[in-house]
Amino acid sequence: MAFELREHTADIAVEATGETLEETVAAVADGLAAASCNTDEIPPDTGDRFDLTVAAESREALLFEYLDELIYLRDVRLELPVENRVRIRDQRPEAGDADDEEGADDADDRWTLEGSARGVPLSEIDAREVKAVTYSEMRLEAVGGESGSETAGWEAYVVFDV
Amino acid sequence: MTSFDANGVTLERVREFVWELPREGDMRSPARVLASEALLEQIADDKTLEQLRNATHLPGITKYAICMPDGHQGYGFPVGGVGAMDAETGCISPGAVGYDINCGVRMMTTNLTYSDVQGHEEELVDALFDNVPSGLGGGGIVEGDIDTVEEVLARGVDWALEHGYAVEDDLLHCEDEGMREGADPSKVTQKAKDRGKNQLGSLGSGNHFLEVQRVTDVFDGEVGEAFGLEEDQIVVLIHCGSRGLGHQTCNDYLRKIERHHGGLLNQLPDKELAAAPAGSQLAGDYYGAMNAAINFAWVNRQLIMHRTRRVFERVFDRSWEDMEMELLYDVAHNIAKKETHEVDGEQRELYVHRKGATRAFPAGHPDVPRAYRDVGQPVIIPGSMGAGSYVLCGGEASMDLTFGSTAHGAGRLMSRTQAKQDYWGGDVQQELQEQQQIYVKAQSGATIAEEAPGVYKDVDEVVRVSDALGIGDKVARTFPVCNIKG
Repeated sequence: MAFELREHTADIAVEATGETLEETVAAVADGLAAASCNTDEIPPDTGDRFDLTVAAESREALLFEYLDELIYLRDVRLELPVENRVRIRDQRPEAGDADDEEGADDADDRWTLEGSARGVPLSEIDAREVKAVTYSEMRLEAVGGESGSETAGWEAYVVFDV
Repeated sequence: MTSFDANGVTLERVREFVWELPREGDMRSPARVLASEALLEQIADDKTLEQLRNATHLPGITKYAICMPDGHQGYGFPVGGVGAMDAETGCISPGAVGYDINCGVRMMTTNLTYSDVQGHEEELVDALFDNVPSGLGGGGIVEGDIDTVEEVLARGVDWALEHGYAVEDDLLHCEDEGMREGADPSKVTQKAKDRGKNQLGSLGSGNHFLEVQRVTDVFDGEVGEAFGLEEDQIVVLIHCGSRGLGHQTCNDYLRKIERHHGGLLNQLPDKELAAAPAGSQLAGDYYGAMNAAINFAWVNRQLIMHRTRRVFERVFDRSWEDMEMELLYDVAHNIAKKETHEVDGEQRELYVHRKGATRAFPAGHPDVPRAYRDVGQPVIIPGSMGAGSYVLCGGEASMDLTFGSTAHGAGRLMSRTQAKQDYWGGDVQQELQEQQQIYVKAQSGATIAEEAPGVYKDVDEVVRVSDALGIGDKVARTFPVCNIKG
């Protein structure tokens, strides 16, 4: 699991990779923390872990909801979420790829993410504000192995508004 | 040059500073870029033109999608973008407004001169930094509860007036007198309100700032007088928006639109352009929520301005009334407004989206506050912290060329990651102070590096184009004295 901060004229992008979808999504969240402050300066033992749950109708929407929730929780808890852990469940594993129909609502949310993070009090760190997650240029996809047939891992690319 | 090629996009030169991307494929209108060749080279350097072309796919887009001289890559819709969509058959797009709803700028004039402030810069910058909340988690001037937030969303600056954070005159010098009609707090989600309640009266971070400036030039004496500007005078510029409440509102509606108007969304080349069809429930809900967030941002800037008056009182030991600290004007540069414009000889109601663009209505327009109706709406164009800012007035040609709009700033040139490699905050701060007598104080050294003067386009060139096109005419130029940021 790894992430890199990528260039964007006004904002900042996170590119993440992982062996699994869950690792990759957690890496994007860690990238969000790195876009907010110098993570080397985060005190190792400060702040308690907290849990969060989000649901959505597709994988991409789930990633969006998750990052949106982390930013929301940062503002209301006044803590920067770091060391993110993620469990993802597809509640309809038999179904094909998400094919959203017009008028779909929360009842069609088949993807659930249960996450946790350590909340580092903002008063303890020198962090700047990432305003929001965006859908712009968002990618979340499985990448094939060398044979081209099997999944070797996952890649994600997310632009954040700064 | 009759055409300009950039990464497979060819722009035709219409006339000086006007470039057109002809309609082709699924574009619903042509697109236009208003720029000198030098600015166009910079605009073509990232994905601005691709995003501008994508914006022409939005239903009901009228005449053309327009990129201002300070345009640069954003998300979905470019920053510096103007798009007017038919209010009956078109759409309204949260992505074309941007995350920071009613991000904007206000300028407060004073009767102090630069010599009154010289020698006090350090004290002033420290006092402003200590008293105006900034950065992440810095709280707000008002520690509100949900009821306070609801009142602010519904009433705007009228709420501030009632609670002693504004005077009547402030309202008369703000667009819509600081209260947007059609604001509906019930359409703003609980999550957004939760984020807003501890951020009411705060700058935030990124490119937001508060700057004490001195007027270096007044180019148009008559308009300058109407605006109360004269050379050597001290003014204060405040740049911020609706904070987490606005950011959350944008994303809440992007998701609602994604869930309910997937059919329209699938026709658009970028998901971030998500739009609600005009007349739909969500279009109405978003408009009500956005108008409420506009009120929140006006109150945010009002609270900061009022706190600044108090700080000046302490530093200069005079009352703010005695220093004549008066609001010149407040402009929004991330906004969609239902406006009536003449298109092909017909009056049409349009949702005019301005994302990183400023309304610039000319003299005589009924929506210009009475105080400025004879000269045109004041337009405030902030430059970087090492360069000048400008005050313009709405130009005659703006209604025809840009749906009454002009630029909103210098426009970024360099990415934040690159800026941090090229600059170190401490060096930038020291150089500004030693070489230009500009005192800067920020929560984070990284912010100073990311906002270093070299990362911005040449604001003089942006304003030159605006002035030459007659969309926003040059009135005065200012130069930084003290700057605080997140």
